[in-house]
Amino acid sequence: MLPPRLKKTVMDNPKKLANLIDLVNLPSTLQEFVGQSQISRLGCFMRVWSYIKTNNLQDPQNKNLVNCDEKLKSILLGQSKVDLAELPSLIKLHFPKEPK
Amino acid sequence: MGKIPACLRSTATQILKNTAQSQPSKPSPSSHFSRSNKKLKSIKPLKPSLNPNFSSPITSPNLSEAKTLINSLISNPKTPIDLQFHNSLLHSYSSIAPLHDCFDLFNHMVKTLPCFSPDRSSFHILLSHSFNSKTSHSPVPHVCRVLDFMASHGFPPDPVTVDIAVRVLCRSGYDEDAVKFVTELHCKNSVTLDYYTYNFLVKHLCKNRSMSMVYTVIDELRGSVGMKPDLVTYTILIDNVCNSKNVREATRLLSELNENGFKPDCYVYNTVMKGYCNLSLSNELVKLYKKMTEEGVEPDIVTYNTLIFGLSKTGRVKEARKYLEVMTKTDHSPDTVTYTSLMNGLCREGDAMGAMRLLVEMEANGCKPNACTYNTLLNGLCKSRLLDKGMELFGVMKEGGVQLESASYATCLRGLCREGRVGEAYEVFDYAVETKSLTDVAAYTTLESTLKWLKKARGQGLAV
Repeated sequence: MLPPRLKKTVMDNPKKLANLIDLVNLPSTLQEFVGQSQISRLGCFMRVWSYIKTNNLQDPQNKNLVNCDEKLKSILLGQSKVDLAELPSLIKLHFPKEPK
Repeated sequence: MGKIPACLRSTATQILKNTAQSQPSKPSPSSHFSRSNKKLKSIKPLKPSLNPNFSSPITSPNLSEAKTLINSLISNPKTPIDLQFHNSLLHSYSSIAPLHDCFDLFNHMVKTLPCFSPDRSSFHILLSHSFNSKTSHSPVPHVCRVLDFMASHGFPPDPVTVDIAVRVLCRSGYDEDAVKFVTELHCKNSVTLDYYTYNFLVKHLCKNRSMSMVYTVIDELRGSVGMKPDLVTYTILIDNVCNSKNVREATRLLSELNENGFKPDCYVYNTVMKGYCNLSLSNELVKLYKKMTEEGVEPDIVTYNTLIFGLSKTGRVKEARKYLEVMTKTDHSPDTVTYTSLMNGLCREGDAMGAMRLLVEMEANGCKPNACTYNTLLNGLCKSRLLDKGMELFGVMKEGGVQLESASYATCLRGLCREGRVGEAYEVFDYAVETKSLTDVAAYTTLESTLKWLKKARGQGLAV
């Protein structure tokens, strides 16, 4: 049940949708984290977010921040604290646009 | 609408569409049809499942196996020997086997079972299964063969036969053949179809063909069979043109209806009103309502719901509120749709608290809010920056397991992010994914774009 606006942006744009859900060969750092050689950008985000939740990495004082553990640091540019608002864009860095 | 920024506008229309969908949008044709269905069910005893033990005794399309099974069943003295049982056997076999095997089995049953005296219903069972989806050819020859078979047993087709045949043909997508078939049958056997069949055919054509073709068929049937459209037919036609937003054609049909000596009833008016409602023509809407009451047609709950929805949609909430009072005065108890439409109108005006008060009033009147009500309110509260109230409502929704709609989801995310409550936004995202309110892709795309927007807004100092 996609809303009309999303239909326009995502569904009418197969490239954007593919960009989100196509399996991509991962660089070695990310492979270690997800334990798979291929994953989609959406799947990767879900994996990282559920990792944060299961390991209680959200800062108890400020739920908007994530205190990265070593494993998470390795894939999020080595930052020790990450704003949740930045999470999608940080993950996107691992999924560069394919050259034409 | 003035206050709402452009980026939110599509959200607003979205939630409206959702409310529109939740309305019983096709009141008139469906109620007419339910009547026709009832009549048909009472005529054709096609439901052998009444006899639960024999709901589907035959499981293989193999003819000799079926014959043996029947023989063994019959030799059992406990087996009932009424027509219903025989029909249920026939039904279960014909639903899986090809037609010529069904004929064979039928003849076998007539021969071996002296107590089996097939009546019209037995043949109708054959007829209704004469077209299996497995065969890709036209079902017309099959139907004709069953009719011949019937005639050879001394049962010429009657209106029920025609009805079943037409439904079989339409179901398999051969609606043009159905029209031809009806005309032929009328010429050959002088069976006329009844209005239930006629209206079914018209409705089916409306759904699948162009209006011009529907009009051609109506003219054709007028000439060949001598059937003129009745009030229900006109309702179907008007409903169809209104759904394609052609109100001018609806008005023309309305006047044609008058010329043919029909008096439009509540259903016709409701349908036209729905058309105006879809196009946001609230002036016409009110005019039509007045005309309706002047002519002495008693409005029903759908009329009021359409009226209130239309007025709320176009920002005339005060008037909509007035009709709520009219409604209670005339002993129509407002339902969830009524209240949700009004809430939607209030939220559009930015009066989300008014909408919340209406929720209290609604529950006091014993009317339960549904998912659409909650989503309307959540959207309204988040939009009017009453985020805490909104999150409170979200808590209630979470408890009740109410699904989120994409519009309220997006508004809620945006509201939370604007206030710098990204963590909570992620919770809402989780809830949307968990309850499968939205697809993962939709939920994530909204989250991503909201966060992107947040970055921009922060840069401009618009958000925390």
